[in-house]
Amino acid sequence: MFRPRSREQSYAFVPDVSHPVANRYGQPIETVPEGHALRGKSLNINSDAAIGNNPNRYKQHGFFFTADNCIACHACEAACSEKNDLPPHIAFRSVGYVEGGSWPSYQRLNISMACNHCDDPVCLKGCPTRAYTKFAEYGAVLQDPDICFGCGYCTWVCPYNAPQLDPLAGHVSKCNMCVDRLEVGLKPACAAACLAGALDFGIIETRPENRAQAETRIPGFPTPEITHPNIRFQQTKSLPREMTRPDSMPIRYVRDPRNGDAHVSQAQDAGRARGWGLKKLSTRENPIAVFTLLSQAVAGAFALLFLAPYFGVSLLAAETHPIAHPALLFGLIGAQTFALVLSTLHLGRPHRFYRAFNNLRWSPVSREVAGLAVFYNLLGLYAVIAAAPMLTAWLAPATVATVTGAIGWATAVAGLAAIYLMYRAYCIPARPFWNHWQALSSFFGSVLTLGALTLAALDVALTLVAGRAFAGVSAYLAWPMVAGLVLEGAGLVFHARDMKRQGGESAASDQIQTTDFGYTYYARNALLALSGVLMVVLTFTQAQGLPGLVLWLVVALFTLGASIVGRLLFYALVIPTTMPGAFFWKNRGFEEHARAVGLARMPQVGVVQANH
Amino acid sequence: MLFGRNKKNPIRIVDKSVVDWKYATCGYCSTGCSIEVGVNAAGEPVASRGVADADVNRGKLCIKGIFEHELFRQTPGRGTTPLLRKERFEPFREASWDAALDHTAAEIQRIQGQYGRDSFAIVSTGQIMTEEFYTLGKLARGVVGTNNYDGNTTLCMSSAVSGYKRSFGSDGPPGCYEDFEHTECLLAFGSNLPEQHPIIYWRLKEALETRKFPVIVVDPRVTMFAQMADMHLPVNPGTDLVLLNALAHVILKENLHKPDYIAAHTEGYEEFKALVEQYDPTTAAGICGIDEDRIRHVARVYAKAGAAMTIWTMGINQSTHGSDGVVAINNLNLITGNIGKPGGSSLSITGQCNAMGTREWSSCSGLPGYRALEKEKDREEIAKFWGIDPEFFPRKRGLFMTDILPAIETGQVKGLWLIATNPMTSMPNTARIRKTLEKLEFLVVQDAYRDVESNEYSHVYLPAAVWAEKEGCFTNTERRVNLIRNVCAPHGDSKPDLWIFNAVAQRFPQGRSMRFPENAEGVFSEMKQLSKGRMLDISGMTYDKIEKARGLQWPCPDGADKGSPRLYTDGAFRHPGGKAKLIPLPFIDNNERPDEEYPFWLNTGRVVEHFHTRTRTGKVGNANKFSPTPYMEMNPDAGARLGIRHGEYARLTSRRGETVVMVQLTQRVAPNAVFIPFHFHDCVNRVTLGLLDPHSRQPAYKQCAVRVERAADQMEAARQNVAARSY
Repeated sequence: MFRPRSREQSYAFVPDVSHPVANRYGQPIETVPEGHALRGKSLNINSDAAIGNNPNRYKQHGFFFTADNCIACHACEAACSEKNDLPPHIAFRSVGYVEGGSWPSYQRLNISMACNHCDDPVCLKGCPTRAYTKFAEYGAVLQDPDICFGCGYCTWVCPYNAPQLDPLAGHVSKCNMCVDRLEVGLKPACAAACLAGALDFGIIETRPENRAQAETRIPGFPTPEITHPNIRFQQTKSLPREMTRPDSMPIRYVRDPRNGDAHVSQAQDAGRARGWGLKKLSTRENPIAVFTLLSQAVAGAFALLFLAPYFGVSLLAAETHPIAHPALLFGLIGAQTFALVLSTLHLGRPHRFYRAFNNLRWSPVSREVAGLAVFYNLLGLYAVIAAAPMLTAWLAPATVATVTGAIGWATAVAGLAAIYLMYRAYCIPARPFWNHWQALSSFFGSVLTLGALTLAALDVALTLVAGRAFAGVSAYLAWPMVAGLVLEGAGLVFHARDMKRQGGESAASDQIQTTDFGYTYYARNALLALSGVLMVVLTFTQAQGLPGLVLWLVVALFTLGASIVGRLLFYALVIPTTMPGAFFWKNRGFEEHARAVGLARMPQVGVVQANH
Repeated sequence: MLFGRNKKNPIRIVDKSVVDWKYATCGYCSTGCSIEVGVNAAGEPVASRGVADADVNRGKLCIKGIFEHELFRQTPGRGTTPLLRKERFEPFREASWDAALDHTAAEIQRIQGQYGRDSFAIVSTGQIMTEEFYTLGKLARGVVGTNNYDGNTTLCMSSAVSGYKRSFGSDGPPGCYEDFEHTECLLAFGSNLPEQHPIIYWRLKEALETRKFPVIVVDPRVTMFAQMADMHLPVNPGTDLVLLNALAHVILKENLHKPDYIAAHTEGYEEFKALVEQYDPTTAAGICGIDEDRIRHVARVYAKAGAAMTIWTMGINQSTHGSDGVVAINNLNLITGNIGKPGGSSLSITGQCNAMGTREWSSCSGLPGYRALEKEKDREEIAKFWGIDPEFFPRKRGLFMTDILPAIETGQVKGLWLIATNPMTSMPNTARIRKTLEKLEFLVVQDAYRDVESNEYSHVYLPAAVWAEKEGCFTNTERRVNLIRNVCAPHGDSKPDLWIFNAVAQRFPQGRSMRFPENAEGVFSEMKQLSKGRMLDISGMTYDKIEKARGLQWPCPDGADKGSPRLYTDGAFRHPGGKAKLIPLPFIDNNERPDEEYPFWLNTGRVVEHFHTRTRTGKVGNANKFSPTPYMEMNPDAGARLGIRHGEYARLTSRRGETVVMVQLTQRVAPNAVFIPFHFHDCVNRVTLGLLDPHSRQPAYKQCAVRVERAADQMEAARQNVAARSY
């Protein structure tokens, strides 16, 4: 058990006060009723079997933040980091701020934020390894770094930036609500350390003494609707109409009369210069960009290959290409293997990859990986049967055909299903740029375009190797390519429109897309359109011979380039609905600068030198 | 409710395995927080926490204190062994303590023999223990015998000292933190408590939670404190004295003063009244930039409050009329009868953890225990106590730190001993300081950190133990003497400053004949004897009693159980005659003001996560990361005019030099003003002027004029900034 200080002050203890039965969302504040199996158990903190004597052990607790009072003295952050022995680059709690007005009627609103131990913990649901548990004790959402394999998906889905992915340790860790202190009735270290009467802690929906409000919103705080966070605010001082962030996120918060005069996030129209943004195009998600593109190409290629006979097309069929057909299948397996290896190595702890299936019930990542695993295994089975007919020689040919057909159908469907599940993993309310059907249209656009392109490339290569002249790309492949491009293009058009309309982080992403990455974005769009048009022209004119080959080659390169750049943009542009940072701490712009100029080489700067 | 896994693993929460908590007092600022350092079974300090029942901090600590245990073993750059070199451009070689100290003593004697006793100067600090200050004073005044001996407290507190002496006849802040619980109006001048003294701010905030009273903040910047205040007066830089005179003008004009108190306890009223007559609110408004209605309003609120107090920090002290500013605050509180009563005070919020200790006992400005060199009785008393000839003492205090350095520049001083201070970063006009230090025939740097920038110019480096690697006392802003118990052994072969002073003393013939107690408590008992019957009487204190009480406020005479929260409660002041002085203070504006060529006011100050020149906090990652590199606050309108964007580098030029700094655009500062934290080496002090106050010789860091432009080559500016940071 935690040992309190001698003669501890009363401010450090969680008050034992009465509270409503349910919170404002209708969730009972008592986590489990009397007599429930989860009651009366030890939290086993560091394997200590003792059970705390806190009278409110089975009630949902939460932070109470009086934004009127916070002075950004960092005491809460420091107390947290000291207690949890955190290295400088990791913080379970961070203070950011927004500011507005003009000198001397200037105002700064500081926000101290850690984990909100939500009613609906999206981290817990999203985590493929089931590293998260919401405890009946205090309603604390705790994460176990020993289970985590460092995929960082929880850091994507959390709107408050609570889970911290440590690139050096390779795993996530987060606020543990100081449950060790709660067991002996003490507030978490951060709340007990507050020097301004700002950060407090107690049973949710109760207010500390002298506090008049218990709101769920303040400027800079994302909508509580995503997770029903267990934090309440008091913010009674009048604020300027517009508040800006000191970090590099192009977001501001503007009072909106249509929204009850609450501050809503808007894109910061700062007159950003248009550029290529090529350096920023490369992110730590590069392996995932390649992984998604390859998986989509493989799923598409297989489906088109398998379905060709059903459309009466003889394309790279086993009968006509006894070597190329199985080689293609094993090539697809190779590509998919490479993609899976890439995504595995992208984990902080790749050796724990097998834990990806631990949360099929809730996690879109688990389901995505499971979908791909099914596809991958079926593809293998199909390839083996196709490559080694002697294995099925003992069966009647009709039976073989039926079994092969069934496996083929299953593989094709599994591939497409896996890509759908992949899309589901990007339906994240805290990342509005991704949370749009454009992700689906882009993924299936790639399935069609890249899948067909792969088969076309091989088909053409075989033609040329066989010494025959180039006779155009099969319409069976050309039209899906065009369809894929149209799908991609349509998605982008509506996406851009909707991002602008949605405002906030969506509009900010859109703005960066057309400014920082402007030239890249428009070049990609032009390439996309040009490729589509050229494909149609080349298909209609049945371009042949060397000129046809060269033109198709150019189109293929355009298409490939547009796909890769488009996917890199997809990852580079997302602006999460996270908390505002400060001028140095939690400022992505400063972190990039510190890495670029070498400040990050000093560990005490708190920026990890390597981004990967 | 969704709980996740049914089978739960044990929860892992960091357990630092603390086996013992050792009592100490924080070694950063002068708030004087009681702190406990947790040591594990191996004796390693691994944790820090506030002492729950200490009256000062009541269990709380600020960010610096929370990580203070990291100083012992985890901060790089600590000195482990003495270093020697013949010339400053040669590499250091490691030396034994004997070799280093023999050489040091020989060099001091050579320089003094060759150029006279005062040609060797000693500049100390506000960072070491009171016992060490006393011992250093004994060494400097009684053994080495130089009159050019001062502390770096001249850079932060000498205006307060001088102002207290001029008004009340003695140094010593008359109030305490408990005054917040009684006051009915708080006026803060140039003090940003939330950033500089967060625990004192918390004490104020706690008082406000239970009882509301007006808080008025005077500061050119919209600090966090200004935003939390009921009224903020964004005064023009360097015009606080005019505002104070105008407040007094209104109070006297409207008969809101306390004639009885003035008559009974002050002198000089008529001259004072005649002077403030000239500072009517209309005139003052034009100078201060605060409208006259507001000046009248503040004066009325302050004077009508049953008890009102003024606090201040560097906004007043670091000014060309810092001492006058302090006296003006004292004037205000004397005419309203707000001295020595609960909630009524002139409380200077001091800077360093033991700035008070050096003021009381270091003999920098005189002789120990608030004694003066100018008084024959004091000289004789101390000479007798130390066993030396009173004629050995000079009859007048020598140079202040800020005058010692120019004396080096022009050759009157040839040798210097720096103790826990870093003028290379802290003094205005870095280029001039470099030029000064390189002229020294002999420079000794005694510091816990080998990488302290001033070491670049030293001939001998003496590695000192830091904070609770030693034992002794600090005195805080409210005169509370508090204890630091020894937590762990000094790092490497570093030594406590007390040991070093004693060892140096043994290398002088006069030192060998005097008594230099070996341990801190022995020194403390000498101080107790010398304090008997004086204002700063500590004869009722013992180490155990101090620890038990979590600090005791002097005066605490022999036999007393408790200390005294306030001074002058009886209205008896320390001037001959027992009256306080009301001093007329004409405003002389000798600041370097912005002009066409240098159009911006430059202001400097602190940030909460750093202390002084960052030799400690710059290496504590969890503090340093909040401002790992210098920055300049600049108004976005000014930025737009100059084409400087948020996060870009600007080039700053003044009549002294130039520097580059990253720009933070914010409306916190006025359109014609910029602000840069002073903690960083080779940054703001490359351009500051630091005109000296005529009384306190404190530099006016906070007012000078600069030109700002966008750095033409941003990458080069970034490289220049990185090159200036070794931590």
